[in-house]
Amino acid sequence: MLKHSKSKHSKKIHSSIDSPRKRLFLFILGGWLLLILSNQVGEFSLYQGAFVATYAVGIASIILLTGYSGQLSLGHGALMAVGAYAGALTINSLQWHPVVALIMATLVAGLFGLLLGGAVARFSGPYLAGTTLALAIALPSLANQFPILGGEQGLAFDVGASPARFGDDFSPYKWFFWIATLAALIIIWFVANIAASRFGRTFRAMRDNPIAAQLCGVNVARQKVTAFAISSGVAGLSGGLLVMLITGVSPSVFPLSLSLLLLSGAVVTGLYNLKGVILGGLVLVAIPEIAESLVTRIGGSENVANSLPGFLVSALLILAVMFTPNGPEHIFKRKH
Amino acid sequence: MTQFFTAVLTSLSSGAIYALMSIALVLVWRSTRVVNFAQAGQAVLTTYIGYEVIQRTGSYWIALVAAIIGGAIIGAFIDRFFMRPIFKRVTSGPIVLIAPVVATLGLLGIIEAVIGVVWGLNNQSIEPPVSNAGFNVNGTVIAFSLFNAFVLGTVAIAMILLTLLFQKTNIGLALRASAYSPEISKLSGIRVDAVRTLGWAISGAAGGLAGMLYVPSTYLFPNAMDVLLVFGFIAAVIGGLESMVGAVVGAMVLGCAINFVATYISTALVFPTAFVVLILVLLVRPSGLFAGKKGRSA
Repeated sequence: MLKHSKSKHSKKIHSSIDSPRKRLFLFILGGWLLLILSNQVGEFSLYQGAFVATYAVGIASIILLTGYSGQLSLGHGALMAVGAYAGALTINSLQWHPVVALIMATLVAGLFGLLLGGAVARFSGPYLAGTTLALAIALPSLANQFPILGGEQGLAFDVGASPARFGDDFSPYKWFFWIATLAALIIIWFVANIAASRFGRTFRAMRDNPIAAQLCGVNVARQKVTAFAISSGVAGLSGGLLVMLITGVSPSVFPLSLSLLLLSGAVVTGLYNLKGVILGGLVLVAIPEIAESLVTRIGGSENVANSLPGFLVSALLILAVMFTPNGPEHIFKRKH
Repeated sequence: MTQFFTAVLTSLSSGAIYALMSIALVLVWRSTRVVNFAQAGQAVLTTYIGYEVIQRTGSYWIALVAAIIGGAIIGAFIDRFFMRPIFKRVTSGPIVLIAPVVATLGLLGIIEAVIGVVWGLNNQSIEPPVSNAGFNVNGTVIAFSLFNAFVLGTVAIAMILLTLLFQKTNIGLALRASAYSPEISKLSGIRVDAVRTLGWAISGAAGGLAGMLYVPSTYLFPNAMDVLLVFGFIAAVIGGLESMVGAVVGAMVLGCAINFVATYISTALVFPTAFVVLILVLLVRPSGLFAGKKGRSA
């Protein structure tokens, strides 16, 4: 069983991502294309593109934890909140550069994930799901308790104007897009490398059969914490990017539904394959737009307009589980 | 001193509602290994049914019965026409472990969206059948009302009925047997699939009752039961997910912790308290307080 699924997965990895050098080249090429693209499209598209990149980072963190290492987290919104608040404090209190703030968001959330993972990663299945679910509702509400975190109003998160050398007509949206996209490219490249490395193989072995993995000398407890910490760090960066785009951080930015939305994005585009993350981000950004245009075209009431996005995401989630349980690409290569 | 007794009483009354939700989750988990996140949707949908019945007939009692029966029907329906096809379809690959969770989360979203379309997102309210004003003890009004007492009594009756059902009847034996070991139950002639659907129906009824007891103290809106789901789930995890006694004990522990913190420290700390209690219990006993012997591996 284990041998079978492992060989199947390793084959997939080798066919999709050949060598680290080729992967790096692809990412640089992708970045360059996006750079050209950013000069061609309008302000609003740039802003939405930045959201796509942000969600893609969040989805990558879920894929790393749930898809690769088999730990179901329902509380990534809380980890994003940790990163977002860490970033906001770095900017507001220490007056450091926004890029440093985003790095701080990643590191602090990663550290938080390390501590939390040390406590919770040994819980199995539903116990971990329950704990992370409780975290998702507990942590953002805790922000109201500390005056330094700004209570319900929250904190400003201002990355400032773009550097002067980009010229005057360099809009803030383009600046957002550049930061978010660059961060997303770096982080997805990083996660892809982890997935293809010894760590990634260990994670998958541990997911498919923890006992067999332990017999092969994998320290399952430690590897689970490692996966949790890395995933938390990536989620923290995603949180930092998210509050950069909406220029402020407050508890209401991270409702329970955000955690579930990210999980939906990951499942819809294939929980076991990093290639889906951009698609996942696109889906999450596109669905409210599609819902809105549907409502204006059909002329639904206010109730329909409010409920349609949730309905579409959920319907997509159920359809994905029923028809393409292991990712959309399996539709095309079912026979082999 | 009065404050202390009030806190104990309100703890019991809110713990009772968490216990219903927690039992609803445990019933489904035991028989299908599914954490039924759609339970919040089912419960809120049945409460909306109760709300409609109240609008038509004006009687809370008819609405209560309608909600319980409606909850049972919806639960059975979801198992028969939603969960069973998904289990038949998703049988291979690593997704198997989380497919049920994801499916019920999707279902939750769909139910809440449909409710939003039909009834809107505004707060509705259900009038409590008995006074919701606090009792007057020696001139001071305490936070415990006749309605809270009614909640406590109703849940106690429901628990007794459930215990009788599970311990004294053949149906209860079939429910326990097919949860403990589906294969052997099948061999001894129990129709495991039908019994599982019955389990979902009982669970749906418990959710409906929870909704009708919970909403009169607050408002009814599509996400009204989400918090209750989270608390019910935490209570079930504290209790070990397998045992109904554990679910009730977990709910009471959680109810006490939450109400005492809300009374003596701050109401803003309710959610963090729930998280801390959960973590502390799981750190001491990683599979909950009342985790049974390993009948089958999860």
